[in-house]
Amino acid sequence: MLDKYACLRKLFSLRRDEIVVTTMSVAAPWARLSDGPLDFAMVESSMGQAPAFGLGLALARPERRVIVLNGDGSTLMCLGTLVTMAQNPADNLILVIVENGTYEVTGNQPIPGAGLVDFETLARGAGLAHVHTIEDAGDFDACLPLHFKGPGPRVFTWKVRGAEEPVPKPRAYIRQRALELRQALGQ
Amino acid sequence: MRKYAGSWCKINMIEAAAVLSEIRKNGATHVVGIPDNGSRALYRMLWTDPDIRVVSVTREGEAFALAAGLFLGGARPTVLIQNTGFYDSGDAFRGTVVNMAIPLVMIMGYRGYETMSGAGTADTAATFFEPVLKAWDVPCYVMRSSSDSRLISAAFSRSGADSLPVAVIYPGEMR
Ligand SMILES: [Mg+2]
Repeated sequence: MLDKYACLRKLFSLRRDEIVVTTMSVAAPWARLSDGPLDFAMVESSMGQAPAFGLGLALARPERRVIVLNGDGSTLMCLGTLVTMAQNPADNLILVIVENGTYEVTGNQPIPGAGLVDFETLARGAGLAHVHTIEDAGDFDACLPLHFKGPGPRVFTWKVRGAEEPVPKPRAYIRQRALELRQALGQ
Repeated sequence: MRKYAGSWCKINMIEAAAVLSEIRKNGATHVVGIPDNGSRALYRMLWTDPDIRVVSVTREGEAFALAAGLFLGGARPTVLIQNTGFYDSGDAFRGTVVNMAIPLVMIMGYRGYETMSGAGTADTAATFFEPVLKAWDVPCYVMRSSSDSRLISAAFSRSGADSLPVAVIYPGEMR
């Protein structure tokens, strides 16, 4: 099992100008590492929609990598988006499914299919070819550079230990953060 | 059966080419959505359009999140779906394009419109439509003929000026 916080620190160590979209139990720990205009928390938004949002950014800006750090419960809410990602392939899109088996920020209730669902199989079955499951720190270090490389879209499942993040509180309302992201992308 | 107090009247078939011309005129780069019988003639044209990319989604809520990302990245998306898909999109619509203040024109089929003239047999896909748009505070233009396609430009202007999603809804099937 991986330590979510260590994974985020390692990802941050290689991050340059990528857009990083976060959700739920990853939003606050990532914001403690980086909270600029290219760090976009899908909070005050719609659970499950971060991968589709990231795909839109990736299609609009093919020169810019987009890393979406999604939850397992969030991924289950919009499984069809895996098919949408395969149908509209973006070489610059990375989806990370942070699998802890629970809805962490609401008290770690188990997600449907916890321990049974295989996200790698779901992603491959949706037509995605570059799919990786990472279970320990050694695998993680070996796969880390791939989080910043095509061909995409790539999907990673990080199998992480449980934690107890509270509901994230972003630094500004989503409307303001969306405006800042657009401006940072030169629009 | 609920009584309908909306805007039923006789309609004429809308030319898909007239709608496409309006979308192009307003600089749309992407059309995001799911085809239905109402929009199939328009989708057929869009799939071969050299300047507009069609982005197919599996469920309509994705279309709003995807359009929000496209817009923040500098593209100019339009959403093309049916009213039933709009109902399914509720939280995605609210949590993405509304909360992020995305200027977005949504062209949406008014499925069931023709049933609204009959007493007691109206399709709720139609009877719920304008009341739901009103409840959600979505500005709405109703396109009932090809000449009404100019309302699409009005919707683009309004969505840009207010930085919010605006609906253009149309009964029947485009040809
Ligand atoms: Mg989880």
